[in-house]
Amino acid sequence: MTDSVLYVRGEIQPWTDYAGHRAPAGGAPLLALLDDLLPDPGSRTLVVGPHSPELIELAASRTGALTVLVRSVSDARDLRAAVPSPTVTVITGALDGLAGAPPYDVVIAADGLDRVLGADSPALDWPARLALLSALATEDAVVLVAVANEFALTGLYDRRPVGERHGDDEWRPLHDDPARPTSPAQVAAALGPRLSRLYATFDAAGLSHTLLDAAAAAATRPGRPAARLAAEALAVTAAHTPLLAPVADGADAAARAGLLAAVAPGWLALLGSGGATHTAYAPAGSPSAGGVLLADLDESGWTLSVRGQAAAVPASRLPDTESAETLLFRLAAAENVPGFRAIAARLGAWAGLADGLVLLDDLYPDGDDFARGLTHPAGGEDAPAILAAAYHRLRDRLVRAHRRHPWPPWMVDSDDLVTTWLGMSGIADNAVAVKRGREIADGLAAPRAGEPDLRTVLAGAEDDRRRAADLAGKVFGLERTLGFRDQSLRTREQEIRALREELRTTAEELRATRGELRTATAELLRLHALPVMRLHSVTRKVAKVRYPRQFARAIKHRLRKG
Amino acid sequence: MHHHNVYYGQQHILARYCGLDDEFPPRIPGYLQHGWNVGCGWNPAHEFFDGAWRYVWSDAPRRRGHSLGRRNHAVIGAPMLYLMDMEPDLGRVPGDERKGTLWFLFHGWDAPGHRGGKIHGDHARLISEIKETESEPVTISLYYTEYQRPEIRHSYEDAGFEVICFGRRGWHYEGTDRQFLHKLLAALRRAKRVASNRLATAIFYGVAAGCHPAVYGDTMELEGDNPAFGGQARIARLWGDMLGKDIDLATARAITDEELGRAWTMPPAELRMLFDWNRRD
Repeated sequence: MTDSVLYVRGEIQPWTDYAGHRAPAGGAPLLALLDDLLPDPGSRTLVVGPHSPELIELAASRTGALTVLVRSVSDARDLRAAVPSPTVTVITGALDGLAGAPPYDVVIAADGLDRVLGADSPALDWPARLALLSALATEDAVVLVAVANEFALTGLYDRRPVGERHGDDEWRPLHDDPARPTSPAQVAAALGPRLSRLYATFDAAGLSHTLLDAAAAAATRPGRPAARLAAEALAVTAAHTPLLAPVADGADAAARAGLLAAVAPGWLALLGSGGATHTAYAPAGSPSAGGVLLADLDESGWTLSVRGQAAAVPASRLPDTESAETLLFRLAAAENVPGFRAIAARLGAWAGLADGLVLLDDLYPDGDDFARGLTHPAGGEDAPAILAAAYHRLRDRLVRAHRRHPWPPWMVDSDDLVTTWLGMSGIADNAVAVKRGREIADGLAAPRAGEPDLRTVLAGAEDDRRRAADLAGKVFGLERTLGFRDQSLRTREQEIRALREELRTTAEELRATRGELRTATAELLRLHALPVMRLHSVTRKVAKVRYPRQFARAIKHRLRKG
Repeated sequence: MHHHNVYYGQQHILARYCGLDDEFPPRIPGYLQHGWNVGCGWNPAHEFFDGAWRYVWSDAPRRRGHSLGRRNHAVIGAPMLYLMDMEPDLGRVPGDERKGTLWFLFHGWDAPGHRGGKIHGDHARLISEIKETESEPVTISLYYTEYQRPEIRHSYEDAGFEVICFGRRGWHYEGTDRQFLHKLLAALRRAKRVASNRLATAIFYGVAAGCHPAVYGDTMELEGDNPAFGGQARIARLWGDMLGKDIDLATARAITDEELGRAWTMPPAELRMLFDWNRRD
């Protein structure tokens, strides 16, 4: 059988770099960068290492002659079948096997230099591999080379011991390479003065997700658009790693320290000059849609555009400010409710709410107004429901990250918190919006990690312990209250008893008085019955004759009555 | 849920503000600050149970409480501010008809069984200073702990001052004068000046009600006074602008707004949720 691929020393068989955990270099953002970068046809191009067929086809379309070097024989044959163009030559073998070939005008090693040697190659360290690659480039060649970062947050937060992080499917000659550059500065030093641009790269198991200019990444701060690009991309990278802690925590700290580029999963270095490139390349809308967001940062902010298919085009200009979410989280952590209320009021008054769903982590204060950011989720809803959805999402992210805030658990665990925030925004008593907002937020939520990180698990356990202690405290407090109430009841009971006693005494005194009265009446009657008293009575009547006129009037009065 | 929460009828005021029964107000799930102080809002030895929420008037007690290792604070503003909001006309007279000085003698505190703390000081000297300072009629407000001590009350009455008492704050839910703050607010809105021998809650209430403040005279001693929070020396360091016979009114108002937490007051619906006062069926 005639083999359709060429061989150089060091090929591996059987082997594949295309079917393992880590995909070959590819993805829409990387292709968009190459689309900008690669010169017009006429040059000679070399692609070293595993790259996606789409990338190979793009490179082939922009060169007179393309050579592809992959170490796996089967991968080479598959590529040959996928890209049958006669201008493309597919070689299988190790990088050291290609030494001595004529130099190329364009050299692409976007997968890096870790999958370019075979098992029969010498154990070359990173600088030695770079030297081999450099020898294959002309003096003014455009060279694109990726470098994996061993100081990446995803590595630092990897829960697995160092010895268990690499499977047999990613064979490489050295895992402990002290000569490998491990910071943007070291990469720049290793690549020399021809370095024209360095990107911090974020990938999903090898597939490019986001490219962000390293200088822009270093200059950004938490909550700004570049930091959001990086944080989103880090989360995608971390989705394939069992973690000690959420990478977002570290990303925030790194951004604050100006070290975001230093903790990216890798870098992509560009040597020489090709076409104009952008500050950042990232998915526009859903990554599966294939659209790429192109972002350029200047002194006054970001200029945005979209290439390819995207659900919606973001605003063309964006201020380089902290997001509304960052400001709200900071105010919540400081327990500054009036400050929080002021921003919520501004959000409620913002006319742009009517234009579609809002992600507060991608909404940026712009003067007295707000600007939607890098994403523009679709969805036609009324303003209260949109804001409710934004607040539900804010609450979810607040709670999930175990951030500090001033609201009690019964508010956080119910819709009260979102209702409160809506009230601060001038939307009161709108249970329908709260309910609809929950549904929208659930639709926007990223899928939960299958296995939570260790910090989250520990924090959850601590939360449970605290809740148990708080409940015990509540029981104590309620018993204390019962004690106070008992005391209050005792006081009232004593007052009631005292009143009863007073009443009883008064009744007894009344009874005694009645008895005395009866005795006195009987005595009076007895006295009236005595002869002497009757004589006294007759005498009093007879004595009235002493006053004749009065006596006559009395007789007259009695006769008239009778 | 602590019985201090009903002191001066504060819990009743907040329940009324929230549109709920203020005859038998619902329980507060924690502790409600009942007076201004230089510390966390409560006395240094106050008992708190785990997980309880502390509803403080302003942000400073929250921060101080936090420094004492306490969490779960919610800043809500002083209930007196809510009462002022609900009773905009109570006791109000035209500005040019306000007259006299409502003078608050620093008071002791009460508890059953002759517990509590009495004040000791030179009342005669204080009376002389008040007479020397105030140019309009003076009404002396005594808390009932002093009002019921004839030797104190008579000394001010004999000096020619009107002496009044706004009632009791209560104890174990008994004896609370729910109109305490109402009466106080009405009196303050009729007075031109508010004064005391210590910077205390009444001064801030007075400024909030439109009075010109003054703090002067013998600060007197309180039995068992716990100096853990720093006492009068700390007041002089932190609130020096609120001490003296002629205090800048704009400054006093700014400080008062801060200490009573004006910016932290909230609508009834929000307060109901913060107190967990909504029915959960």
